[in-house]
Amino acid sequence: MTSSSPRPHVRISKAANRYLVFDIDDVMYLRRNHNICSVFVGTMPQAPQQSAFMGLPIELMAEEAQVLVEKNVAFVVDDSNYHPARIAAAGPQDRQYLDAVKTVTSDAQRSMREQTEARKAMYANKGTTPAAATTTKNSPVTREAPEAWMATLTTSGALLTPSPGQDEQLASVDVPASYPLYAHLQDKGYFMMPGLRFGCDYNVYPGDPLRFHSHFQATGFQWNEDINLLDLVTGGRLGTNVKKSFLIGGRVESEEQHKDNTDATRDVRAFSIEWAAM
Amino acid sequence: MAHPDYLTDLASTVFENLESQHDWTLLESHTHKQSSLPESSKTLLPRPLLTGLPPKRLYLHPDDQVELVKTHATYTVDETPEMEWVVPMHLNEQFTLKQLAEVFDSLEMPEPLAEGRCKRLLMAIVHDDSTVVYYFVHDGIVKPRQN
Repeated sequence: MTSSSPRPHVRISKAANRYLVFDIDDVMYLRRNHNICSVFVGTMPQAPQQSAFMGLPIELMAEEAQVLVEKNVAFVVDDSNYHPARIAAAGPQDRQYLDAVKTVTSDAQRSMREQTEARKAMYANKGTTPAAATTTKNSPVTREAPEAWMATLTTSGALLTPSPGQDEQLASVDVPASYPLYAHLQDKGYFMMPGLRFGCDYNVYPGDPLRFHSHFQATGFQWNEDINLLDLVTGGRLGTNVKKSFLIGGRVESEEQHKDNTDATRDVRAFSIEWAAM
Repeated sequence: MAHPDYLTDLASTVFENLESQHDWTLLESHTHKQSSLPESSKTLLPRPLLTGLPPKRLYLHPDDQVELVKTHATYTVDETPEMEWVVPMHLNEQFTLKQLAEVFDSLEMPEPLAEGRCKRLLMAIVHDDSTVVYYFVHDGIVKPRQN
């Protein structure tokens, strides 16, 4: 990737408290440059009950969305506000685009109708010259309102979302308490996937999950949060059985330090736990 | 200054378990930080700790393992055990990251650690039926062993 022109920010749509990315270029960019793969959640329109081999969009964890916002490579838009506002505030450029779509559509419909009529006429007057059938082509046709959009425009420039303006209200991200550990691992270049499979907050991969097995099951704790030893034993035992380490960690809270220190990647301490086999 | 009795008793339980069941040698219990000061003015450790020598090597870092596999010397390591730190705990206890960090900070390593290596200790977890399970805890992000 050339670094001559800054890449436009990744647009994250917040819909029903999910963080979605719809653009495949953004998805590839996040995976290549920001070690975020996340989960594909989209179905094909023809198969809304699909449950395997999902496609776009990807659903980011709240932590991923927050990390990207803090790195200043993405912005989060609340879709439930954004869509009505944008439709209401359609400018002349958008109207022009819609009109263009309508024109192209009605032209396409007209030419289809003409072809059908010509074919009908040809079958009706077998024996007459084909020239008679083509005369309808030049007859004036009244323009009707299109029934449906049948045309694909060659450009979709008008549909592109502009980068966030200063006046645009950006949605906030609600991150869970384990965020500091996530940000710390992400900063070190690890790939994180949701931890459901191994009963933790995150599965931590040393590289792209397509190439590596995960090294850790990570769970975040507050610095002064009580941890049950049985949880540690459970995590450590499961981890060893699946050739992983159980990683616990959280942000260090010292007396002189204020809680509103925003740099989450600093001051995180983590411990790896393995069964000692004795 | 001394630790509460239940911590001292816990340490002696683990001490006996290591000595009698796991054949550890050179076992020592520690209540205060090592220093040349007189007994009364030494700093108390956050918890009682044990040190000892297992009969064979307990832990091999995965990077060392790779090196050894290359030189076909994997079996020689077993013969060179390393001293281990042990922290005894009871299953009904709860702990925090802060306490764990304090225990690690109080550990004094006899020789400086190699580049990219972290401190480690053995957490001995005792249950009422005298079962003791042992877990390695590393002070940092340490990749798992390959087995």
